[in-house]
Amino acid sequence: MTREVSIPNGAEFFEIRFESIGGLGAHVAGKIVASAAVLRMNMNGSHFSSYGSEKKGSVVRSFIRLAPADKAIRTSAPIEEPDVIVVFHSGLLAHPATLSGLKANGTLIYAGHEGDVPVGLSLLPKTAKVIRVDAQKIAFEESSRENAVLIGTLAEAVPTLRRQAVLDALTATFASKSKKIAMANERAFTRGADEVEIIKNMGKLDGNVPTMSSNPVWGYRTAPIGGVLPTPGNTAHNDLHTSRTGWMPVLDRDKCIDCGMCDMVCPDLCLVWSTHTDEDGKPLVKLDGIDYQYCKGCMRCVETCSTSAMTREAELPGKADELRVPLFTELTAAAGGKHA
Amino acid sequence: MLDSAAVTRSGPVAQVHDFKSGNEAAALAARDIGFHVMGYFPITPSTEVAETLSKMQADGEHDIVMIPADGEHGAAGICYGAALGGGRVLNATSSQGLLYSLEQLPVQSGTRVPMVLNVSTRTVSGPLDIRCDHSDIYFVLNAGWIILMARDPQSAYDMNFAAVRIGEHPDVRLPVIVAYDGFLTSHQKRRIDRFDDPAAVKAFVGEREDPYSALDPDRPVTFGPYMNDPDLINNKVQQHQAMEAARRVIPEIFAEFYEFSGRDYRSVDAYRMDDADVALVLLNSAAENAKGVADKMREKGHKVGVVSPNVLRPFPTDEIRRLLKNVRAVVVGDRGDSYGAEGGNLSLEVRAALQQDPDNKTLVMSRVYGLGGKDFYDADAEEFFHEALTAAETGKVEVPFEYHGAYAGDDDAGPAPGLPPIKAEEVSRGMATVTPNPETNKLEVELKPLWEMTTTPSRIAPGHGACPGCGFFPMLRQAYNVLEGNIVVLFQTGCAMVTTTGYPKTAHRITYIHNLFQNGAATLSGLVEMYHERVRRGEIPEAPEGEDTTFIMVTGDGGMDIGMGAALGTAHRNHKMIILEYDNQGYMNTGSQLSYATPFGHRTSTSEVGDKLSGKRFHHKDTPQIFAACNLPYVFTASEGYPEDFMRKISKAQWYAQREGLVYGKVLSFCPLNWRTKDDAAQEVLQTAIDCCFFPLYEVEKGHTLVTYDPDAIGRRRTVGAWLGQMGKTKHMLEAENAERLEMIEQEVETRWRRLKIKSDNPEL
Repeated sequence: MTREVSIPNGAEFFEIRFESIGGLGAHVAGKIVASAAVLRMNMNGSHFSSYGSEKKGSVVRSFIRLAPADKAIRTSAPIEEPDVIVVFHSGLLAHPATLSGLKANGTLIYAGHEGDVPVGLSLLPKTAKVIRVDAQKIAFEESSRENAVLIGTLAEAVPTLRRQAVLDALTATFASKSKKIAMANERAFTRGADEVEIIKNMGKLDGNVPTMSSNPVWGYRTAPIGGVLPTPGNTAHNDLHTSRTGWMPVLDRDKCIDCGMCDMVCPDLCLVWSTHTDEDGKPLVKLDGIDYQYCKGCMRCVETCSTSAMTREAELPGKADELRVPLFTELTAAAGGKHA
Repeated sequence: MLDSAAVTRSGPVAQVHDFKSGNEAAALAARDIGFHVMGYFPITPSTEVAETLSKMQADGEHDIVMIPADGEHGAAGICYGAALGGGRVLNATSSQGLLYSLEQLPVQSGTRVPMVLNVSTRTVSGPLDIRCDHSDIYFVLNAGWIILMARDPQSAYDMNFAAVRIGEHPDVRLPVIVAYDGFLTSHQKRRIDRFDDPAAVKAFVGEREDPYSALDPDRPVTFGPYMNDPDLINNKVQQHQAMEAARRVIPEIFAEFYEFSGRDYRSVDAYRMDDADVALVLLNSAAENAKGVADKMREKGHKVGVVSPNVLRPFPTDEIRRLLKNVRAVVVGDRGDSYGAEGGNLSLEVRAALQQDPDNKTLVMSRVYGLGGKDFYDADAEEFFHEALTAAETGKVEVPFEYHGAYAGDDDAGPAPGLPPIKAEEVSRGMATVTPNPETNKLEVELKPLWEMTTTPSRIAPGHGACPGCGFFPMLRQAYNVLEGNIVVLFQTGCAMVTTTGYPKTAHRITYIHNLFQNGAATLSGLVEMYHERVRRGEIPEAPEGEDTTFIMVTGDGGMDIGMGAALGTAHRNHKMIILEYDNQGYMNTGSQLSYATPFGHRTSTSEVGDKLSGKRFHHKDTPQIFAACNLPYVFTASEGYPEDFMRKISKAQWYAQREGLVYGKVLSFCPLNWRTKDDAAQEVLQTAIDCCFFPLYEVEKGHTLVTYDPDAIGRRRTVGAWLGQMGKTKHMLEAENAERLEMIEQEVETRWRRLKIKSDNPEL
């Protein structure tokens, strides 16, 4: 039933880090993989995630630390130099921190559509193994979720893990759900294991990816006392496009009657309006478009639109940049420099 | 012996491996112990204890009576009362929750009523931070409770069994805290061994025996008499003696536990201390990190060790003194400061312990580390060891006390700059015209068309971190469209607070204040009165009539549970302000626990659904009627799905808040994540909630109730079942076995609706 576990290269631990967005199931996926190792592969292990508040759409890291059964795991600290990084949303590869610390001979697995080979991959070690899987497409086709696909890819790609044990843990996690869900998960897992693309020759780096630690923008000498923020509305600098999971609302100007209903229901405050006057000098407003920097893709605007001017469309690479109408044109410059 | 905490041998009792977090382990222990009652209030990161127990209950795994309190103060009261009845009682809390219950803790220890309180340690506000340190547990050092520390999920499980036995021991009779690190232990899953022999567990914990019970009619007793001098000091001597008895009892129980489980706990966990020259003294998970580092330092020839109390009260003074006797230098790490004392509490107590040994020469350095969840890496432990080694070598301490890991800052760096402040003129655009009607003595509102409102600059910026589809922001946007002039908002703790003010960014373009949700209304009422007093003294310019600053307290429905007392006090004083509640029917910020506004039968993470439990057990709180009973100038309900109705009402609210007094409004607010709907289902679900009369839209203006939308009158009435069928959290209500429950909620809704209609039809009511 169990087998001897080998931790490669005589290292203390075998460590896996998931990089994800809240709502994609990274935490549950981590739990499944780690519990498979501990309860089905006779390893020692720990699992934890980085998030605190329970929000969909924000960055989530999930950590799996594995060791032989007789080796104590004492540290509770996050994983800085992982053997494997699994990226649940290829948009996260735009942030160098996503790849922080990956070992030179480590493995990167990322969810991306066919042809999605982000330039960020050039920050990888030459010797790292890079695997792309279209988790979203497979999950959609199998009525499962991205996390089932990705742990399939992980379980197959990493010799330290036993594929069947991980699949059994996945099935057990959803045992209380219907047989249908269990079967959908199994298909997604299996396709995740098998339908992958090995990306070659992207990494340019010698050795490990350096670990990135960033200082806070303020310290005790520079921060206003009491935690006061004298920077009204500076969340406007945030970029939330990774909260969208494959779909985006698109405005058809020809159908829009500028009624303003979408503006009443948009949670992300990302609709851009302008004023003008008609021939009689009467002031009018016009919906110019959507600032996709803030849009999280909830589609409430689409749902409320009475003229079908807003529609839900698949988000192809580059489409949001092309259609984006910036809400604060003055911000782009201000956001540069050392500000974060 | 290398490691006195984690040496495992096979005890006589059967055990199985499991993979659990600290919170889950505490819940498993609660199940295995079979407590009678749990009184609790959710707070991150301890909430999962109650959540896990709720799931287990739904699956029929235990029959602990789970009582969701109105706040931690209430939870402490529930626990105290239950424990007076002689059964076993459990609670779990963290941070502010522990502090909010603080007033009750000495009552319980002083009257000698045992129970077990799991504390998943977290830093205390403010500013609010949900992550781990020990500043909360440091506040209860003087509460008279026994405090056991649990360094990992295994010990969180084990210490609960020990806690029951220690606290109930006839020589002790004290309540017991089991404290484990928030997130680091509470949420980190580890391999644990749990007992697999219920009969043996039952025999180990035994039956609770109380010298006095509040449920024994044959022996009536008075608990908690009025006791002044000269008697109180004698009561306190007894309490002191109980704590001293615990010094003896704790090792006895630990020894029994070792026989039972094979896991050997000592009052102080000593790792590689036999010949150590230098040591670190740390609590809980950081000590475990340090042990790993000690192994590596030993390999390099450094004689280092780690000392870590498993018991914080009674403080194991003798053991500390003995362990450090020949240690030349020690760094004591405190995950919490005792500001102004030149050391956190652990440092102070270690120093005090050593001071009693006239021969002791140990050099002691105190370091405050890891505050607010700042991670403690191997490198940090290594640095501490090196500081101790340097002191041992040189024979002197260069820096007796400092913060470790803080950052001074870079003069050239800073957060992204703010947007220009929103000026009152920019947002005062007459989108709503409010006019008193002298005939009806009520207000009338004329709204501009919606399209005209779209260019009103928003007082809230985009870029906030709320979930896709969140209903709070449409509500706020709608309110800001029509509200005129200067506004100051106070948000109570909740989703809207967390998602708009993640440091160092804020989405608020106007002045914003946060306070904890026990107290937001009171806090804002103080600011309102300061405003008017400073205007009266000429320190702030007087505004023309109707142009005073508008003060709005924004709260979730959870804040109207725990903050109800302060809100009602504020309402009765009738300050000129608005209390605006976004009601998403649960504690959504912390993972969808039930609130009192959650309807009957709904699934939440503390009212799970299974064979033995079918969601929430009591009906939803009727908060607007409670405020209506305060005889306020204006009370309303609204929905973000009916913008025009809401904007009319919030305009009236501003008029009344500037001239007459307090306004309360409750706005039904969509939460796709926890209602388990699609992100774009708001319109349909909100509409059906209103059309089924679960959430009637009405106002109470100067005491007169008016239903502002009557689905009966326009033939749009739907069943409550139609609404429940639209949400994943309530689908189970439509199943055949829940027919009776569905009927109960239908009836409750109908009763409340009819009563409201009668009020609406009768101006005298």
